[in-house]
Amino acid sequence: MSSVCVLTPIVIGAWPSIAAAVAGVAASMGFNIVAPERLELESQQPTRRKVQTEIPESEILEDEMGSERIVIRQGDVEIVFERDHDGSLKLCVLGEKHSKAELERIGQEVAGRVVQQFAYHKLITELKKRNYAVIDEHVEKDQSIQIRVRQGY
Amino acid sequence: MSAPQFDIRIDKAGKLTVKVSGVSGEECMRLSDMLAEIVGREDSREKTSEFYGPGNVRVSTSGQIHGHTHGA
Repeated sequence: MSSVCVLTPIVIGAWPSIAAAVAGVAASMGFNIVAPERLELESQQPTRRKVQTEIPESEILEDEMGSERIVIRQGDVEIVFERDHDGSLKLCVLGEKHSKAELERIGQEVAGRVVQQFAYHKLITELKKRNYAVIDEHVEKDQSIQIRVRQGY
Repeated sequence: MSAPQFDIRIDKAGKLTVKVSGVSGEECMRLSDMLAEIVGREDSREKTSEFYGPGNVRVSTSGQIHGHTHGA
């Protein structure tokens, strides 16, 4: 007996869990995390194009301990993730050699992958608490993650 | 009865498709509710033909009948 359901993740979490998802995506997509001191030096570059987007249905819980900002870079493209004033996760994509449309596409792709990583970690963490174990896992050519989970393993 | 099993696909935009199997109909629905609660929002749910066993009926949550019964 079985059913199939389609689910849309809601990204709610403290900043460390979001930063971990961003770091995972950066590593898998060939981005580097930019150190904050370098960012300060390079922040004023008027020739760069800039687009902004946000992850829908996201809520970053306030963190009193640290800064709620992480920056990743690949070539001339830099993506700034930060908590917006309304608590949602905002992305600012900057680049010199790309058109605004290209920057927007890159931003959407990276945002999607962050949601994917967040959903993966949340689901696996919660299922393990409920005595489920991953018995098979792989990434398809289309970058989807396929996981088989079974209880009592 | 075998253990509950989830076959999960998370696409590159984060959307999840989960097949729940190995449990009775009522338990299957309970586990689907649990997954929706963990992840966020449920967009759709469909009971497959396996849900009912032999008979090849497939009913979506909107109540539309997509298949047919044998011997009707």
